[in-house]
Amino acid sequence: MNFLYFDPGLGAMIVQAVVAAAAGILLFSKNVMYKVKSFFGLVKEEEDTYDSIDIEEEDTNTDDKKN
Amino acid sequence: MTKKTDAHQASFRDPSGYIFYDGKTLRRAIKPIYFPQYNKLKESGFFKNLISNGLLISHEETSVSSEEIIITPEEIPFITNPYEWSFEQYKHAALHTLKIQKYALSKGFILKDASAYNVTFHKGKPVFIDTLSFDFYEEGTPWRAYKQFITHFFGPLVLSKYHGTEIFKMMQTHIDGIPVKLIASMLPTRSKLSSILYPNIHLLAKMESKHSEDYKAETKIATLSKKSQENILESLYDYIKGLTLKEASEWGDYYNKTNYDEAAFEAKKTLIKEWIKPLSPQKLIDVGGNDGTFARTVIDSVPHIIVTDIDSNAVDYNYKQLQKNKETNMLPFVCDVLQPAPGIGFNNTERNSLIERLADYAPDVTMALALIHHITLSGNVPFEKSASFFASFSKNLIIEFPTREDSWAQSLLVRKREFINHFDFYNETEFEKGYLKYFDLEKKEVVKGTKRLLYLLKNKNNEV
Repeated sequence: MNFLYFDPGLGAMIVQAVVAAAAGILLFSKNVMYKVKSFFGLVKEEEDTYDSIDIEEEDTNTDDKKN
Repeated sequence: MTKKTDAHQASFRDPSGYIFYDGKTLRRAIKPIYFPQYNKLKESGFFKNLISNGLLISHEETSVSSEEIIITPEEIPFITNPYEWSFEQYKHAALHTLKIQKYALSKGFILKDASAYNVTFHKGKPVFIDTLSFDFYEEGTPWRAYKQFITHFFGPLVLSKYHGTEIFKMMQTHIDGIPVKLIASMLPTRSKLSSILYPNIHLLAKMESKHSEDYKAETKIATLSKKSQENILESLYDYIKGLTLKEASEWGDYYNKTNYDEAAFEAKKTLIKEWIKPLSPQKLIDVGGNDGTFARTVIDSVPHIIVTDIDSNAVDYNYKQLQKNKETNMLPFVCDVLQPAPGIGFNNTERNSLIERLADYAPDVTMALALIHHITLSGNVPFEKSASFFASFSKNLIIEFPTREDSWAQSLLVRKREFINHFDFYNETEFEKGYLKYFDLEKKEVVKGTKRLLYLLKNKNNEV
């Protein structure tokens, strides 16, 4: 059931393949850089008060049935 | 059956349901078209998990029938809109949206829209308020809210990096976000070399104009794996998290530049505290409250406080402070008293004007410290007019009046040059004449060690 109540933009749907590819390369190289930097002890603590993109799950018993 | 007194003007865009007022309580009705999603979201524990992580506003199920399900969300005392956020707030709202989308994706759902109006600030943090924004994820489909995320969040944030936070005000004139083409045109050419900005903005703008005439929806949309979509989300997240502003503050270090000494500063604090205590306010607003320094003197005794300032940097500083101190009862936002946010959208009622929201909020105490000389001398607003503005939402008003002898009032007056005589009305007598039309004088005192007067005024109209 895929109703759209706003136009997602066709170009925007198509472009995501390219965006994802670029993002993949970027994340990969960042990862490598991070490993190199932490090997030399160059990783700095971040100041931002907003945490990471991942959610810590406290209550997963009901959710796990789904996957 | 719940009685619906008033459908909310902002909720017509999504056919899944709508919000309405039941007396004074805001509730959300869900239509049968959205039942499958709602039930799955509820039963799988998805809602519960988002709510316990503080990402989604909590709600209670009020009634269930075959025609509609009614839920009642936790009340948010005051809604702020994207054009009223500081940089850090805007950034956090964007990160919040990406975080929810990534989590949704891992559980087989998606955010079907990524409107900046789905996020607001509550208890010191961003919170997602549109409970019906989720839909089932279909394997291989790109994120349909991607463009909306760019026009509502990513674009404004990137532009503010180059042009300052004034950019956020463009959200007032573009209720569905800044058009991608416009974002692209406002970015410097060197942004095309960025591996994030090129695909997410420049290429997107190109593709959008290339495919804008596909009226019959003939072009095939390529599939996108879940992993690829996660990569998009993560790369956007990393980029936004690392964004910083270049602009320096006009007012950010205001309190290092005051024209009175520490003792006078403390005297003002003490006076305010003394006056506020017997009023025991439930809600307080500090208009032009800078980084919240004076509002913080009563933060332990007032359940809900809003602090506005024209300077986005001061608001930003306040926001960072309250996150650091884990304060949950203060809400800072950007507001220019001389041009408060108007009502926007369809019928001009989709997003309420600041004046309407303030009247609804109905603060018990309004503070306006070191503000009137700006309104009167920079904005040329006569006393009677500013008095009527404050009277439209304030029960009690604590207002500071820097006399003509005050060095800051002086400097504003001197800048009038040959027109300085036009501002002879800027004095104690005229101030009182204007304000006492709308208010009764309760208290009046000189702030020790300064050339400023502090007034406590009570609204003549008790119904405010």
